Amino acid sequence: MKKLGKDMDRREFLRGLGTTAAALGAGAVLIQAGDLVQAATPLKKYSMVIDTNRCIGCHGCTIACKSENNVPEGVFRSWVKQIIKGKYPHVKNHLLPRLCNNCEDAPCLNDCPTGATYRTPEDGVVHVNRDKCVGCHTCVLACPYNSRFINPLTGTADKCDFCYHRITKGLEPACVDACTGRARIFGDLNDPQSEVSLYLSKYPVQGLRTYLDTKPKVHYVYADEAILDLDYSFLSRR
Amino acid sequence: MNGSIQWISWVKHGVVFGYLIAMYMFLISMAVGAHLVTLFAKAYYRDEDFLPLEKVGTFLPLLILLLMPFLLLVDMTHPERSYTMYYHWNWTATVAWGAYIMPLCVISYALHSFYLFRPEMMVAVREGRPGAGFYRVLLRDRIEAGSAAEIRQRQQKAERLWANLTIVFSFLALIYVGMRLSAFKGRVMVHSLAMVFIFMSLAASSGTGFMILLGRLKTAIVPLTQPALIKRNRFLVDFGVILKYALVAQLVIWVLYLIQLNFTGTGGKLAAYIFLGGPRAMQFWILQVAIGLILPFALVLFQSLRENSLASLVAGAATMLGVFFAVANLSIGSQLIPLTHLEWEKMAPEPFRTAFGIIVMVILFLLFLASYKILPYETPVSQKSEA
Repeated sequence: MKKLGKDMDRREFLRGLGTTAAALGAGAVLIQAGDLVQAATPLKKYSMVIDTNRCIGCHGCTIACKSENNVPEGVFRSWVKQIIKGKYPHVKNHLLPRLCNNCEDAPCLNDCPTGATYRTPEDGVVHVNRDKCVGCHTCVLACPYNSRFINPLTGTADKCDFCYHRITKGLEPACVDACTGRARIFGDLNDPQSEVSLYLSKYPVQGLRTYLDTKPKVHYVYADEAILDLDYSFLSRR
Repeated sequence: MNGSIQWISWVKHGVVFGYLIAMYMFLISMAVGAHLVTLFAKAYYRDEDFLPLEKVGTFLPLLILLLMPFLLLVDMTHPERSYTMYYHWNWTATVAWGAYIMPLCVISYALHSFYLFRPEMMVAVREGRPGAGFYRVLLRDRIEAGSAAEIRQRQQKAERLWANLTIVFSFLALIYVGMRLSAFKGRVMVHSLAMVFIFMSLAASSGTGFMILLGRLKTAIVPLTQPALIKRNRFLVDFGVILKYALVAQLVIWVLYLIQLNFTGTGGKLAAYIFLGGPRAMQFWILQVAIGLILPFALVLFQSLRENSLASLVAGAATMLGVFFAVANLSIGSQLIPLTHLEWEKMAPEPFRTAFGIIVMVILFLLFLASYKILPYETPVSQKSEA
């Protein structure tokens, strides 16, 4: 144990420091190795198409989501945005059902310091591990779609995960199940025969803030440009 | 595109990074700024009498950096799990980088402080001055012979090594706080490399302001001999010159940043409007520009004002206040822009967090003043050269 005594010179100290750092680094890499190995091409690519022409604004999806996932009051995993444009008698009502886009390049996942936000490699769905989340709010700010919030009951980040407990049992997400006009269509994009793939092949598709290159997996059909991405000059004029 | 929108229904999200996080980023930039300014000034002067100010610029930032994690922990909803950042790191997350950079920064500052105080601690142990027992433990009972200057000469290599490392980690810390904001992809106000340069300019001015304020207070609290006092005042007056140029640099960078925002689409224009006429206009024009930029600049513009203790104290304090609001305007202002609806996001009052931040600041200030009375900042006048 001479090296740990008072006679340790700087070279030995630095060597020991280097070895310890290398050991710690290797240990941390091993801890994550499992995740790295699993991050292969997903077998499925769960996605949702929302035909805004079919949405009647009943908010059934909002209520079904709250009920299914025990979402507390004041916060939402899924909701419907609504705008009214024009002046009487030329008034138009536009609706945009919203939820987490479960982006392929998710900024929330990239900014999570603990790995609490993760993607299931087999289907590409983005989740939050409540046991790992420290509640640093970083992901809430990182999400360019305002799809995340801190759950007041658990104190952890929360968001839509396509009702993962349902879809892994072969069911549809609660919002899709509850949609009166069948505006929400859910399925596997890697399956060319799925309803979602067929729908996407038939209609031109829009997405939210696609210029950010987050590759959102919630697609819209027939959505008004004004409801997808607002012109901010409205605020500065007031 | 949507000028004719009459009504909108939307879910509001509010502000999640409040004043506590702004305080965290401000204090980090001020601490490392004070240290960098001190080290560069020391390299310029190469004067033994600058040493007490170098200690101020190293030990006080160390205290700040030691207390900073508490601000972050209080802001978290599950701080008890924060240790997971150290082994479940995510390389793309700036916070994960900060979890490593900030402790390394603290370690380098601590060791640099240790070597700065080491010769005086040895002399204090030999002479049985107050705190000798504590210093003996810190020095692991290895007391060297010779005067403080001779001991310092012998340890020069180690002192320089840790000083150089503090420079590296200080710049990494500034890049970290800049990137902590710029990482937010959808926030046009902060999603820019300009953040790193803004934080560097803020660090230079707040760090210099800090050195002037705490340097002046130290001179007032700790009695000095007349020649030492004259020299110390000269250094502090010169810090006023540094502050003048740091404020000009800050102004230039902010002007460039605001011009850049105006060329970043409607979102960028709105971000600039938040400062210039929107919800943060009062904090921007009065606290950041008038009090934080113009007032200190006027107070350090002329030699006669720089030599005036009260004027330079006010200049230092005003600069720090202005920089705090600059950080808050960036951090909070960036969250006021709604992502897709048409109302400004609102910031909910945070009385507990704000009170905690203020308490931390008061504790820090008291620790600074107490350290002036306790720690051997000045080289002892009567030294025994023999052990």
